[in-house]
Amino acid sequence: MRRLFLSLAFAALATFAVANPFVWPAGWTVTPPGEAEYGGTLSTGALSDPRTFQPVLQSETNEVTDMMQYATLLTQGPDSDEWIPYAAESFTVSDDGTVIDVVIRESLRWSDGEPITVEDYFASYILQTDPDTGSNKYDSWFLNDVQITMEITGERSMRFTFPSTDRLAFAGLAHFPVRDDILGEAYRTGGADAVNALWGTETDPSELVFDGPFMLSGFQPGERLIWVRNPYFGSWNVDEAGNELPFLDGMIHRIADGDAQLNLFLAGELDLFGPRNLDDIGVISVAIQNGDIDAEVIEGIGAAGSSQFIVFNWNLERDPFLQNVFRNVNFRQAMWHLVDREAIIELVYSGAAESMHTNVYLNSPFWVNEDVTTYDYDPERALELLARAGFSQRDGQGYLVDAEGRRISFTLATNAGNAQREQITQIFAEDAQAIGVDVTPTALDFSLLVDQLLSSGDDRPFEAILIGLTGGGRDWPFGDSVLTCGGFLHMFNTSGECITATETLIEQLVKQGRQTLDTDAAREIGFEIQELEAQMAPILYTVSPQVHTAFASRLAGEHPREIMAGAPVGTRQLPLTHIR
Amino acid sequence: MLPYIIRRFFHLIPTFLGATLLAFLISQLVPGDFVTQRALEPNVRQETIDRMRAQFGLDQPVLVQYVRWMGSLVQGDLGMSFSSNQPVMNVIRRPIQNSLYLVLFATILLWMMAIPLGVFSAVRQYTFGDQAVSAVSYFGLAIPNFFFAQVLVLGLFLFRGFTRETFGYSSLLFPVAGMTSNGWENFTPWHQFWDIMWHMIIPGFVIATASIAGFTRVLRGQMIEYLGSDFIRTARAKGLGNRSITYKHALRPAIIPFIAGIGALLPSLIGGAGLVEIVMAWPGITPRLLDAIQRQDIYVVLGFLVISSLLLMIGNLISDLLLAVADPRIRYG
Repeated sequence: MRRLFLSLAFAALATFAVANPFVWPAGWTVTPPGEAEYGGTLSTGALSDPRTFQPVLQSETNEVTDMMQYATLLTQGPDSDEWIPYAAESFTVSDDGTVIDVVIRESLRWSDGEPITVEDYFASYILQTDPDTGSNKYDSWFLNDVQITMEITGERSMRFTFPSTDRLAFAGLAHFPVRDDILGEAYRTGGADAVNALWGTETDPSELVFDGPFMLSGFQPGERLIWVRNPYFGSWNVDEAGNELPFLDGMIHRIADGDAQLNLFLAGELDLFGPRNLDDIGVISVAIQNGDIDAEVIEGIGAAGSSQFIVFNWNLERDPFLQNVFRNVNFRQAMWHLVDREAIIELVYSGAAESMHTNVYLNSPFWVNEDVTTYDYDPERALELLARAGFSQRDGQGYLVDAEGRRISFTLATNAGNAQREQITQIFAEDAQAIGVDVTPTALDFSLLVDQLLSSGDDRPFEAILIGLTGGGRDWPFGDSVLTCGGFLHMFNTSGECITATETLIEQLVKQGRQTLDTDAAREIGFEIQELEAQMAPILYTVSPQVHTAFASRLAGEHPREIMAGAPVGTRQLPLTHIR
Repeated sequence: MLPYIIRRFFHLIPTFLGATLLAFLISQLVPGDFVTQRALEPNVRQETIDRMRAQFGLDQPVLVQYVRWMGSLVQGDLGMSFSSNQPVMNVIRRPIQNSLYLVLFATILLWMMAIPLGVFSAVRQYTFGDQAVSAVSYFGLAIPNFFFAQVLVLGLFLFRGFTRETFGYSSLLFPVAGMTSNGWENFTPWHQFWDIMWHMIIPGFVIATASIAGFTRVLRGQMIEYLGSDFIRTARAKGLGNRSITYKHALRPAIIPFIAGIGALLPSLIGGAGLVEIVMAWPGITPRLLDAIQRQDIYVVLGFLVISSLLLMIGNLISDLLLAVADPRIRYG
């Protein structure tokens, strides 16, 4: 029950600390409480310009709107998947988990000193749930297509009502406020259009308000974002020694592509850099050794929050033979035995990757079923399984054929320009050719590949695709759209109907798991889903690349090594970061 | 001349329409659209994808989309950027301006390097110096810009290593990326100007070297031709000095084609300064255009293309007119 989702203990703790600021746990930083110093400016990189300064619109995260979406009611710390009250002072949950009452802290402040109120949270709810504002949070307000509702119940309290008991409910409480007197007022007078006309990137930064540790003071398109300390952030954010956060006076985002960021890091102009591969790490290590820069580089802090796999198309009406082959579990298991993960890790990633056996991203180890059936590289076993699928004879050219002399021949596509994926398809194709299965690797434009993958019906325009998924939360990493038969990301079969009994069973378990609030019980269901999927082998998981980090030695306050990871946890908390 | 200009102006209209139609059709041939990329996120519902398509008008037939876009274009509106939800003009103005700075600077640098080199090669024909200039300038022509920029950056790092070991000086000679220094917004205007100039040296040099070979070879040929002509012999017979003959009498006519080429400056903006801008993080056209292409933010891509084709056409017109001004033998009726 360690990770009991609706932890009463937290509610009790939060109620005890009446009107107090949020205390950033000492365990989230390597610097002991009281030892961090104030001052200094952090210089870091951003890959492209923010496209809007408006926190509701925003079809993707950007540095500016991130700083406006800070005061979420609940949050997940870097050391656990548990939801803890952040802008909320306390919260209570009804027995069936469908009603959550939240009280916000009294000390919450915007960067202009105005209090953050329940009206601000309500305005955010209204704006996000209007499809016309185009908020990317819109979908998170629906559980099984029924909307979550929010109402104000008091001066500092509000109530969220969920249509059903759902594990994903808490993610809905990572809800941030927007200024009711600016964005909310614009919506009331001019609707969604008026809101979307506000806060474009031309806006004078002094007109913007933030709830994060910094506020924007300048934007030079294509060059940099300049930030200064938000003086009011400390009114509701302190460290364990009682110091108001953040420690830094300011921050600069240099806008540059990966190579230019590396150059800037080597020139000592950036304090933080995320090495993309071992080549970057090599270059940085040499610079450190030569004394060019004073920095630290950490290789392989954890796995990336993404998956990478081969999927076969079960909807191939035009080619019944190949369709039957792809629907044959022996064939798919045989193919999984041909994925040489060790070779891929060594040849493609120079060792900086990890084997993946299930759909759960390796950066969520809590949910990964370590005892799942795995398919190690084993061509002999693959031949046995193919024989079981009816392919035991060979034709004149040495290819495996069935009783009627038909060989297995298919195209394995991946997105052009992704050198690593192209190499993986090559390695797989060579191993398949070696045992007599004709695989042609090919590279297609990313959009075309996605169009093919997401096409639906009984006859879809691809045979096999190597691609990856990213996104999703830490509460229940078994997405409806991916694992239920009607889901549009149910990539191997988008006919709309389950074809096998296992698909139906997985679908039931996914629904059951979402309704299970006890995290340990949900985890057991998750393990079962992974095992069922492994036995069915509709998707052959390959490897997940590792994430690396490098930072200037003057920068301190990073996560302790054991909780340091790639996104979404990250390598440091911005408010706790300081300069030595 | 005036009727000629007017006639040329009217010729621009069908060319412009054809260019935009072609650009629009090609942009539609690309599979997928702006919304496709969001579809790979497990949290996004199909309904949202469909709604976004409708919102952006991406569910309409291509011809309808073109007519709508053209309709707003004639009113001077380049459309809206999907990703930033603001007018395309706002998105592309700054990058075009920044690329213009860089291209102008590179052109001036090119002239400053190429004219003396061309003259030198012409007056010292077939000497070691002439051969060396050719070899180096062809090297500049052959090496890809983005690679050369990266090599120069590497050179800066190596040089820093050298100066630190030898003189204990560990700063870089030139900036390795960007257009301005941190704190630029607080500089005096004069200091701001110099800061940009300082950041332009490496990318500007890289761009200039690409054209130096062609420029010096043509200038060398022109100079050799004029130096051997009758009026130069007359000048020599009058007893004029070598310097005066070379720079006053031969260089002036030899340079005419290049003056006409000033008009071509605008079209050279088309590609911005190219991939150098990406390697050196110069906030110009190329990074923004590539980003828009990658996201399939088509109206931003088309916005750049429209402005580029306009600049191309106006640039060509200016070139022709300058030629007439510079060379008295040319007359337009």
